[in-house]
Amino acid sequence: MMDVAAQLLAGKVAAGARAIRWLDDRDPRAGELLRRIFAATGRAHIIGVTGPPGAGKSTLVDGIIAEERRRGRRVGVLAIDPTSPFTGGAILGDRVRMSRHALDEGVFIRSMGTRGESGGLSRATYDAALVMDAMGYEVVIVETVGVGQEEIDIVALAHSTIIVCVPGLGDEVQAMKAGLLEAGEILVLNKADREGFEQTWRHLELLLHLRGDGRVAGGWAARLLPAVATRNEGAGAIVAALDEHRRYLEDSGEFARQCGRRSEQQFLALARAALMADLLCGPAAELLSHVRARRLDPYTAAEQLSAQLRAGRTPR
Amino acid sequence: MSRPLDRIPAAEPAAPAPAEEQRRWEREKRAPFVAAHPERREAFVTQALKWPIKPLYTPADLDAAGFDYLRDLGFPGEYPFTRATQPNGHRSDLWTMSQVTGFGKGEDWARRARYMLEQGLQGLILEHDLPTTNGYDSDNPLVEGEVGRAGMALDSLEDLERAFDLPFEKLRYLMSVCNAPQPVNLAMIIAALEKKGVDPRRFVLHIVNGILIEYTCVGRYIYPPVHGLRIATDCIEYIIRNHPNWAPISIISAQLQPAKANPVQEIAFSMAIALAYIDATLERGLDIDTVAPYFHFVINVDMDFFEGICKLRAYRKIWAQLMKERYGARRPEALKIRMMTSPTTIALTLQQPLNNIGRLAIMATACALGGAGESMTTPLHDEAHALPAEEAIRVGAALQHIVAHETGVADTIDPLAGSYYVEALTKQIESAALAEIDKIAQMGGALRAIESGYFQRTLGREQYERNQDIETGRRKWVGVNHLVHPGEKRQIEIFRAANTMEEEQVARLRALRARRDNTAVAAALDAVRAAARSGSNLVPPCLAAVKVYATHGEVCDALRDVFGVHTPDSQLTGV
Amino acid sequence: MPTVPARPLRILLAKLGMDTHTVGITVVAHALREAGMEVIFTGLKQTPEAVASAAIQEDVDVVGISSLSAGHTRSLPRLARLLREQGAADKLLVAGGVIPEEDVPLLQEAGYARIFIMGAATAEIVQYLQDWWSARLAAEAARE
Repeated sequence: MMDVAAQLLAGKVAAGARAIRWLDDRDPRAGELLRRIFAATGRAHIIGVTGPPGAGKSTLVDGIIAEERRRGRRVGVLAIDPTSPFTGGAILGDRVRMSRHALDEGVFIRSMGTRGESGGLSRATYDAALVMDAMGYEVVIVETVGVGQEEIDIVALAHSTIIVCVPGLGDEVQAMKAGLLEAGEILVLNKADREGFEQTWRHLELLLHLRGDGRVAGGWAARLLPAVATRNEGAGAIVAALDEHRRYLEDSGEFARQCGRRSEQQFLALARAALMADLLCGPAAELLSHVRARRLDPYTAAEQLSAQLRAGRTPR
Repeated sequence: MSRPLDRIPAAEPAAPAPAEEQRRWEREKRAPFVAAHPERREAFVTQALKWPIKPLYTPADLDAAGFDYLRDLGFPGEYPFTRATQPNGHRSDLWTMSQVTGFGKGEDWARRARYMLEQGLQGLILEHDLPTTNGYDSDNPLVEGEVGRAGMALDSLEDLERAFDLPFEKLRYLMSVCNAPQPVNLAMIIAALEKKGVDPRRFVLHIVNGILIEYTCVGRYIYPPVHGLRIATDCIEYIIRNHPNWAPISIISAQLQPAKANPVQEIAFSMAIALAYIDATLERGLDIDTVAPYFHFVINVDMDFFEGICKLRAYRKIWAQLMKERYGARRPEALKIRMMTSPTTIALTLQQPLNNIGRLAIMATACALGGAGESMTTPLHDEAHALPAEEAIRVGAALQHIVAHETGVADTIDPLAGSYYVEALTKQIESAALAEIDKIAQMGGALRAIESGYFQRTLGREQYERNQDIETGRRKWVGVNHLVHPGEKRQIEIFRAANTMEEEQVARLRALRARRDNTAVAAALDAVRAAARSGSNLVPPCLAAVKVYATHGEVCDALRDVFGVHTPDSQLTGV
Repeated sequence: MPTVPARPLRILLAKLGMDTHTVGITVVAHALREAGMEVIFTGLKQTPEAVASAAIQEDVDVVGISSLSAGHTRSLPRLARLLREQGAADKLLVAGGVIPEEDVPLLQEAGYARIFIMGAATAEIVQYLQDWWSARLAAEAARE
């Protein structure tokens, strides 16, 4: 029997892959595993890559991997693709575009389905990134599904978020404005050899200017960079910007703070889930049925629940 | 006594209008019949397009389609060429009859080629093995196990010199299928013909040169699409300027069929692809009346008899229209599409292979009825198994002769014209295809459609749907889901290439590299790279390189050094 | 919203060698997704080494190879050997495509549990994999 935690801490890919499987499947062994590897986490630079479909994210990630490898870093990649909401199945094809790294021992690519989540990531993505972190990968790239406006989960999960755009998107750029473009640290305008490049570039420059984050003292001014991913052009500048951002995060203490915030969010999410599970077995179950039948209004029900808990009535 | 007015006969009641008559027939005759005898299918639809098929077509359908004989059909050999591109159809010349061959080492191909010529075939198609079509030499570790299997192994000029041990006086044409490394392949053929002293004006060499379809659905590409197009255009330009009697391009829209394109998609995608090549060639300073006549299509028909026939007619009309209206072509030769037709292999079954002979006969007849074009190829009835066996070759050849000489279908031009169904369906296919061509043009043309994955995604959806049609039984396929014989014993002899072939080819390659002038080879490869960078035509430096026995893989690698390799955005179509 | 199966089967689909026909593998991939499985596709023109590496990184349960060109008698057994050598012998190996019946025993000896000759219905493939998966899940539950 493989001691998965010990082996993944020693960098064994098969063990890391098994650990991520447990997380993905919500296997009961996952909790114990995370406990054992937690101390070894907090070092990796987690990079999110997002953008609309067709922007060339995977090809760009392929270039970024090559560039990071050239700098001697070991790279983990989590490539997320949508799970069908009707069948629960998925076709995960992102690693196709990174196939030149297939035999590089310093690169670990893992594909995941969203499995019911809607923010562009799966529930296990963050913990999977921790596994890669614990294995010793200095850079962990998370490539999201790319559905546009809903993709805000990545921003919370990653230290640095790259948003990939293409020229002539028009309406899609408008849609992205509302959410993502306000939060990404590096904007990449891919397919720079396309028509409409100048126009879209100016548009994005304007957006960044309006964001004004560079004007805050000590703040990070978002970078706008061009790329032609299919010709391997632009990855060098992107990685340089990522390195700069990482230095900025470390110098300002943000790096550690973000890791802490993520731990906090994980804790709250887990606690919330555990509490809800308990409650729904206990007094809340009865209250819930009253609410459903409209015998009781939700507000009163919630108050009654609080009162019961305060009074120390423990759930069954 | 009769009065004058009595002698005037009473007026006949007005004859009922045909539409009225049809409604009456439907109401009084057909509907009651169907009530007592339910139709054998819930819905009758055409096989690929899945368009509803009416019980009856009448002149009203022609009216509804706005059919006008002179405008829509015209006369054979005249715009819009719907009935035939030649003024006398197949009454003067039959189509050239040909078959696929090509496997193994050069001399194996030559042996089978000679056999086929003896059996009455006049054209040969040279398919290359997967290492060759993907730009690798036989000794590249990546291609182990693949050498000489799917076609001929062509590592160097020597291999072709061996293959060209042929009675060239019996050969009317030779087609070479080798899209991604086309300039290298073309150079080798030219050099081999020179060595054999064959006069290039005495027969027609067709190079397929069809890289855009490879990106769309076949997958044998090497370089990024924009460079693939440049390479193809170099070959087109070279041939037009140096060997004007040859054919520098074939749009094998037939390859879209295994990818499950329906007739509208076939026409639209293949035409859009043709337009991309034409536009690129016109930029080299050639004019449309010179360029258009060089374009050549390979079109398959499937088992839906009428979809096939109407598709061929629509192809002729649409090409003529595009050349005239988009480019202002004036020469008749520019407006007449050239095509090779063929029954499709995707209709053939693994099960009960002898049934396939019947299927081939039906499809070959459809080709002849739709207008077989310049030549027809018959695939072989056991093609679903492995590569062809001698017996199957003989049967395939005979089929074409049977259709041509025993049925009479080729003895009058476009015999089904005027059929209410055929004309209505032809018009429907035509307008849908023109709309799709327009849509692709809006996207920026075929190159953009390929880069954005539009072609691939569209086809991927069709593939899944069609497969489900068979698995659910929506579509009946004899031997597969209808009249199935479980545990049938197959008796067709399967052709097996010799296992030692790969080792022999590898050994020959090593020997070649040892005895050639390697300094000359290195210099020649540098010249190839320089031409790739500068944009000058690649064929002359490739020719110089193959003549000093640079290998196929070496020249392709030189181009990889400059162009890079292509990894597409969506390799799994329709995902 | 329908519940996601707790443990979907993960299958890697690959094409070895120079063969670039994608229709068969496309149709199978769609069918497997419809059946609730996670399909990881590693691309065309793959080597056995690359496929083995991907199979381990992705911790798949099944490796499915599609082969329509004729090099299968060498590359498929090599892949099976590589997986065994890298400690992944517990993965189910299946293959499909234009594989003559005469070659099936050789491939089965090399480790391929099932060969789906071209023309096999996707329903048959799905059923086979589902049955195998149920049996495996049951065996694991019994061990605990």
